[in-house]
Amino acid sequence: MRRAPIVLAATAAGLAAVLGFHTQKLRTSVLSGLSGVGTTPTSLPSGGGGTTTTTPGSSTTTPGSSSTTPSTSASTGTHTALGADVQYQYGELELKVTVTGGKITNVQPAIDNAFDPRSAQVNAYAEPQLESQTLQAQSANINGVSGATYTSQAYVQSLQAALDKLGIK
Amino acid sequence: MTTTETVANSAGAVRHPGRVIRRVHPVMGTMVSFDVRVSDAERSTALVALARACARLDRADAVFSTWRPNSPMSLLRRNMISLAEAPAVIAVVLELCAVARDLSGGWFDPWAMPGGVDPTGLVKGWAADQALRELRAAGVRAAMVSAGGDLATFGGPEPGLAWRIGVRDPWAIDRIACVVESPGAVATSGCYERGLHVVDPQTGLADARCVSATVVGPELWLADALATGLLVAGEVGLAHIEALEGYEAYVISERGEAATTGSFPVAE
Repeated sequence: MRRAPIVLAATAAGLAAVLGFHTQKLRTSVLSGLSGVGTTPTSLPSGGGGTTTTTPGSSTTTPGSSSTTPSTSASTGTHTALGADVQYQYGELELKVTVTGGKITNVQPAIDNAFDPRSAQVNAYAEPQLESQTLQAQSANINGVSGATYTSQAYVQSLQAALDKLGIK
Repeated sequence: MTTTETVANSAGAVRHPGRVIRRVHPVMGTMVSFDVRVSDAERSTALVALARACARLDRADAVFSTWRPNSPMSLLRRNMISLAEAPAVIAVVLELCAVARDLSGGWFDPWAMPGGVDPTGLVKGWAADQALRELRAAGVRAAMVSAGGDLATFGGPEPGLAWRIGVRDPWAIDRIACVVESPGAVATSGCYERGLHVVDPQTGLADARCVSATVVGPELWLADALATGLLVAGEVGLAHIEALEGYEAYVISERGEAATTGSFPVAE
């Protein structure tokens, strides 16, 4: 089984790729010097013949062995970079990403201007989650999330939103 | 490694053409997000195709929305127009609904919905398939579209790699129950986002026998419809998916137990 290495440099670049958002304008996209560490998600049923039943005990992913990908610069030490200033449907969000030893250790909003009080409320709820979701997606090394259909409002709280905004791949 | 939209800093560094294009399009009451992989030369073609893909989603919404009282689908449901008077695409989609109903063993049944025939459980997946077709037709190497949590894909994020899709843990927004490699479509139905919204065709009442149902296969219109039916059916519905070539399924019960068909493509 081949596994895509997590490439934080691409992650960083993905922030710029968030440009794709509808009405947004990207002002800066400064992120460099990130290198990647991939991890292995715990898998659930491996499927044999017929219908199998298992218990999703560890229903989350665990950091495991790593595959490091060469990047344009050092993978050691702590780097902090400002990501894209993203104008998205619900407001404006600029993310500050901290990388330690080649791994994202912190994601924090540096600018957070919601367009209306309702959005501000949503953001206040969503942002603490954004960080954990980002770290989660990084460890799961996934491209997308399948789940029950979310509403537009729920989108900002979803893992998919974190993937789309941060370009985790 | 693939670099994407690389380094463009405020000091005015050169911005290289990207190889990953992301776009989020609000439509059908949810968000549809695209992840498109192109070579530098294909970029502008892909952007045009992406605009067409979004337009297709908008058209599908305009025709099929049961929330818009004057959409052709709503008018048809109220018998204010006949099928012959409705846009031809409605007959096409209802035909697909009939196929999906049969293949699901009757667990997916748009004709059993209160208020008249309701193809909603299939339309979103079908529209996403159509959107992706625009990108493929434009020569795009690989793309993924997520229609509010149901995904259609072709190609892979890197040559030789499959799209890896996490299936959400029904009890925690930031947890993944498992990771699958997409064979073209990954659809999940559950009641944790919008409440109990599925109807048991046998009783006509809102009901679900599991908390999350995922179906993977080559096409999203069918995977989406089958996942909707499987959410109602629960584990007993797996047999219908097992019988379908190319389709596999995964359900999580209220007790937190997972069950799958024989070859559900769980990734490492």
